[in-house]
Amino acid sequence: MNKVILEMKNIDKRFSGVHALKSVDFELKSGEVHALMGENGAGKSTLIKVLCGIHQRNGGTVKLFGEEVNFRNIAEAQAAGISVIHQELNMMNHLTVAQNIYIGREPMKGISIDDRRMVQDARVLFERIGVDIDPTVQLGTLTVGKQQMVEIAKAVSHDCKLLVLDEPTAALTQTEVEELFKIMNDLRDKGIGMIYISHRMDEINRISDRVTVMRDGEYVGTVNTAETTKDEIVKMMVGRVIYGDRKTESKVPPDAPVVLEVEHLNRGREVKDVSFKLRRGEILGFSGLMGAGRTEVARAIFGADRKDSGIIRINGKEVNIKTPEQAVKNGICYLSEDRKRYGLLLIKSVSENSVLSSLDDFIDAGWINDRRIEKVAAETNAVLRTKTPSMEQQLKNLSGGNQQKVIVARWLIKNSDIFIFDEPTRGIDIGAKSEMYELMERLASEGKSIIMISSELAEVQRLSDRIIVMCEGRITAELDCKDATQEEIMKYATMRETMKG
Amino acid sequence: MKERRPIKLGQNIIILFALVVLVGVFTLLNPNFVDKYNIVSMAQSLAPYAIMSLGVTFVIATGGIDLSIGTVCIAAAVVSGKAFTSGLIPLWATIPMMIAIGTLFGLINGLLVAKLKLPNFIATLGTMMFSRGLSALIVVDPNIFFPTGTWYNKVFSNWNGIPTGILWVVLFTLICMYIMYKNRTGRYILSIGSNEEATRLSGINTDKYKMYAYIFAGMASGIAAIFWSASFSTVAAATGNGMELDAIAGVYIGGTSAAGGVASVTGSTIGAALLVVIRSGLNFVLAKFNLNLNSTYVTFVLTGIIVVVAVMMDVIKTKRQNKIKVEKNKKDKK
Repeated sequence: MNKVILEMKNIDKRFSGVHALKSVDFELKSGEVHALMGENGAGKSTLIKVLCGIHQRNGGTVKLFGEEVNFRNIAEAQAAGISVIHQELNMMNHLTVAQNIYIGREPMKGISIDDRRMVQDARVLFERIGVDIDPTVQLGTLTVGKQQMVEIAKAVSHDCKLLVLDEPTAALTQTEVEELFKIMNDLRDKGIGMIYISHRMDEINRISDRVTVMRDGEYVGTVNTAETTKDEIVKMMVGRVIYGDRKTESKVPPDAPVVLEVEHLNRGREVKDVSFKLRRGEILGFSGLMGAGRTEVARAIFGADRKDSGIIRINGKEVNIKTPEQAVKNGICYLSEDRKRYGLLLIKSVSENSVLSSLDDFIDAGWINDRRIEKVAAETNAVLRTKTPSMEQQLKNLSGGNQQKVIVARWLIKNSDIFIFDEPTRGIDIGAKSEMYELMERLASEGKSIIMISSELAEVQRLSDRIIVMCEGRITAELDCKDATQEEIMKYATMRETMKG
Repeated sequence: MKERRPIKLGQNIIILFALVVLVGVFTLLNPNFVDKYNIVSMAQSLAPYAIMSLGVTFVIATGGIDLSIGTVCIAAAVVSGKAFTSGLIPLWATIPMMIAIGTLFGLINGLLVAKLKLPNFIATLGTMMFSRGLSALIVVDPNIFFPTGTWYNKVFSNWNGIPTGILWVVLFTLICMYIMYKNRTGRYILSIGSNEEATRLSGINTDKYKMYAYIFAGMASGIAAIFWSASFSTVAAATGNGMELDAIAGVYIGGTSAAGGVASVTGSTIGAALLVVIRSGLNFVLAKFNLNLNSTYVTFVLTGIIVVVAVMMDVIKTKRQNKIKVEKNKKDKK
């Protein structure tokens, strides 16, 4: 029907220690909505970043309108007609709508900005794409959905030919989603090609013409949406091979003692009345879509964020955890999905990172015993098979998987009992992934209790004895591993309150 | 391939070398520079600066800054001196009083930054102005005169030609090395400097240790006041403007990272010494060659250049290390 405007072939991208994209192909036609799917860490965002010049590819070709391009930054990509609407909006809340749209290219009258014309231009623009927003109000006063439309309008005003929408519906209400789709359909009629990233299967079916699936940095395939089924796409996304079979029988004896009990936990709008129990030696999977509130539950239990209400019992005794310090004293540890920000001291050594939580145990008569620290760190990391040239190596020189192991070492040395893993394999190579699975299984068999938050269904299915599914801050299901099929998990993960009632 | 702990020995050797070269050059230009009296005089002015540098090193190691150290030092000296000259307290009591005043201001900074989460630059700018103004208001007299030739001057400044202040600096440096490298407080302060949130999520009370850093810097300013008053005798609320910047410059020259996480205690002492040598040496050179230049301003020019060069060297070194690392990774892949 329409001509090809974007052709990416054999795209290769490596970061230190991680092969993020392996020979990925992608194609987009004008007037097409092409969905890009894959689980978290599949490489979708990296592909987009390579496209718009945030990352430089290590191999492959990108052709835009038949010509090979090599963008060095976003500005160049934008000038060539590519606009990206990110998951988190990148706009200035304090400026007006019109100021946001025309920032950096304000219409001028002499040496001052022609505000009247700017507002006028914005009105014309909104009319063109059929949006009803007052250009003179402060952006921050609009709902997230409206803000997103402002951003789309901004992209259109840049004369974009290719629009990337990265999970645009994650924070939208149902009516806002409808409005967004209407605009997308209009843009499609105008011949704009759109790359649409989303996890929501029903949306993909409604809006997209084709679907390309990625998995673990590899291109899996492209199908016409009309000629495929939801199951087929899920199958392409998940892939069995590296994960192994799903667990069908819980390894936890039914009379295993409850080590952690959470009752009616609330925090803001993200965590609503969450209650569950964790048994000794159990791996309890937390499944759900992005923004379902799983990380927030973990942070509230750990004291990283203050909870609004709720009771937490450890080994049957009520504890009052307000800070991570208190949580750690009670044997809880939390391994964040964002290791660089929330876990690692990048410029410090493997030794120092390994003993950060248990430094007090290495002080002899007021003096830190570095020799003993190095010995214990070396022993623990040897057990975990952390690959590092020495214990003195700075952590920034290790790969993601090995960095993760050093943090596990930190909590093993602290002798924690309850491990909360938040997306434990994000940004980790496949090889290191299965090692991480074995590690978690070993911890459980040694009597540690694990809460594992993961967005990868196969990962949850392989490891969990029980699975808790969350949606919009609530627990929508608690499944035994033998009942936890993908369909079942997805059903509860998308069980929005509006749909329930 | 063994990588050493980041107690930057390399940079220490470089600035130690720079110190020796400078002393050599100044001596060549004007041999009076190494006169016994000048050495004692330099040693006397080193003590307050070095001790302030050492104190603020802990704050900078957390990734913060304390602009109030100079005015707090003067405030401690002026207020305690006033209490002494008015006959309210004996001479010995000025010592605990100065330390207490310094510590109090450190505590205020700590509360503002760690508990109330104010930006450190603004919080300490506030205490800097506050302490300067308040001490002048309390004291009224333009000058406070500390006694000369008493045990006080002997112990803290000059014992018949022996610059006793130096011994205290050495002792204080050793204590700071222990706290920074061998005590949990220093280890946690460095952890906070490299990643505060990760440190907090490792179960460490980061607010508490950040407070400690500011309190320690304040206390060091109070201690510096002892040496200041013992060496210079005349103290006025208006003296010592910009002292904090000299002390902070010494820390950066010494190799402590402005971003936090990496600190060199000995570097701070040597950095402070370097600045004292430049200040004094320039006086001698300018006098010798009858150059009609204001030595204070020449000192500023030279100090500015040295700070920038020292930090630039550090930046370049880190960059090169990273480059080498990337290239090595590429090779590994092949």
